[in-house]
Amino acid sequence: MPERNLSSRTRERAPRSPDRDAAAIASVLRSHAEGDYKKRVDVKALRDPTLAKVAQGINAAAHKAQERGDEVAARMEAVRLGLDEAINAMVRLVVQGDLSGSMRLEASDATLIPLIAGVGQVMETLKRFVREIREAALQLSSSSAEVLAAATQNENSTSQQATAVHETTSTMEELKGASHQIAENAQMVASIAEQTLAATRQGEGAIRAFTESMEKVRRNAVEVDEAIVKLSRRVERIGTVVEVIDEIADRSDLLALNAALEGAKAGEAGRGFSIVAAEMRRLAENVMESTREIKNLIGEIRESTHAAKEASDGNKRMAAEGERLGGAAMASVSGILSGAQGTSDAARLIHLATQQQRSATEQVVQSMGEIDEVTRQAQAGSRQATGAAAELARLAERLAGMVQRFKVE
Amino acid sequence: MSEGSCQLVLFQVGARVFASRATDVRRIAGDFPDGVETALGETVLGRPWDARRGLVVGLDGGEQTILVDGVLGVRVVPDADIQSLPRFASDILATNALKGFAVLEEMPTLLVDLPTLVREGPRSRGTPREENPPHA
Repeated sequence: MPERNLSSRTRERAPRSPDRDAAAIASVLRSHAEGDYKKRVDVKALRDPTLAKVAQGINAAAHKAQERGDEVAARMEAVRLGLDEAINAMVRLVVQGDLSGSMRLEASDATLIPLIAGVGQVMETLKRFVREIREAALQLSSSSAEVLAAATQNENSTSQQATAVHETTSTMEELKGASHQIAENAQMVASIAEQTLAATRQGEGAIRAFTESMEKVRRNAVEVDEAIVKLSRRVERIGTVVEVIDEIADRSDLLALNAALEGAKAGEAGRGFSIVAAEMRRLAENVMESTREIKNLIGEIRESTHAAKEASDGNKRMAAEGERLGGAAMASVSGILSGAQGTSDAARLIHLATQQQRSATEQVVQSMGEIDEVTRQAQAGSRQATGAAAELARLAERLAGMVQRFKVE
Repeated sequence: MSEGSCQLVLFQVGARVFASRATDVRRIAGDFPDGVETALGETVLGRPWDARRGLVVGLDGGEQTILVDGVLGVRVVPDADIQSLPRFASDILATNALKGFAVLEEMPTLLVDLPTLVREGPRSRGTPREENPPHA
């Protein structure tokens, strides 16, 4: 149709001439040069036969070129459609993540076969990648969940451990104070035990001195008792002598009485005799009075001697009892001394042990402080690890979710 | 001895002091080899406490000892100080051996007739009084 219109317009505007024919051919060629192969030279309108042949050749070439162009266009359209399908598939992949279906690309053009094959390979590769990524994401999710659980458990354990360590540290601090107090008390006990031991030794010496004194008292009591016995015997002897004197005085008194009686019977002749008898009797009475006083004194001496004897016997008994008690006390003190010695030794050992315990406790407290610090750091690290694991789990979940968007089955 | 006086032996039985004429006492004994049982113990004068002395009295050709607690001595007493017992007193007494009393240092002391006392013998408590004629 355009060809006809051009011929008609050419025929109407200018008369047929070789120039005009060439111009017509040139115009068609220019269109061809511009890619419009639909233009044809109106051969019938050409007057120049040569140009007409050229025009026929140009038209044939144009026709051929147009056919080629149509073929190319068709091929281009097929390629475009293949590309669009590939792009759409890629878009579905990207947008929908659906890799489940197979791409039914028809290779209308042989040139698209490598592209389609490449896209198919890409898709398969993507499927494989998605599967692997999904599996990896699942494994990652599972592993991250396990890591999170482990990290959480580790955090909990670390927290419990930190709490336990803290409590242990506090307990050890208290134990340190207690150990310090125990060490001081042990030192005090050791000091008291030493003092007790010294006091017991002094007591032993005092009891030994007491026992010796009791022995001296007993010996003195025996000597006093013997002296009292001697005194008693001598007093008895004096009493016997006084009895004899008293008997003599009594007889003298009796003689004087009889003399006085005879003198009285003799009357005046016995007057002097009576006077002498009276004097004798007075002397005898004086003697008897003196002997009575002596007897009284002897009685008092006897009572005093008896009391002294009883006191001496009491002293002897008390001294013997004192010696016995002193011996018992010495035995007890010996036992106490042995016990005090053992107590002092044990207290000294306890003191040393408590000092070592205090040093060890202080070291433990220091170590526990370091452990506490490390545990706190570990707790912080564990908390960070838990956070990281949680973040990792979230990322894994996110990755799994993202991967889930790709359908490969 | 002057006229108008007599010699009295003063002796003691228990807490009481008695007197007897010196002529009635043969001697004064101080020990008793035959034992106290042979001497005259408790009489109407009473029971001696310790019987340290004995008044030996001659009687019927023999001797009898009266146990006393002590002999205080021989005193010369004026006859004026020797007095008989009142009648009513001698009537109510349970013995005839008490003949009167002597005033010694303004204190009356019973005068004992030792031979009568020996004749009356030992006396248990509650022995009834013999009916004796009043004596001078």
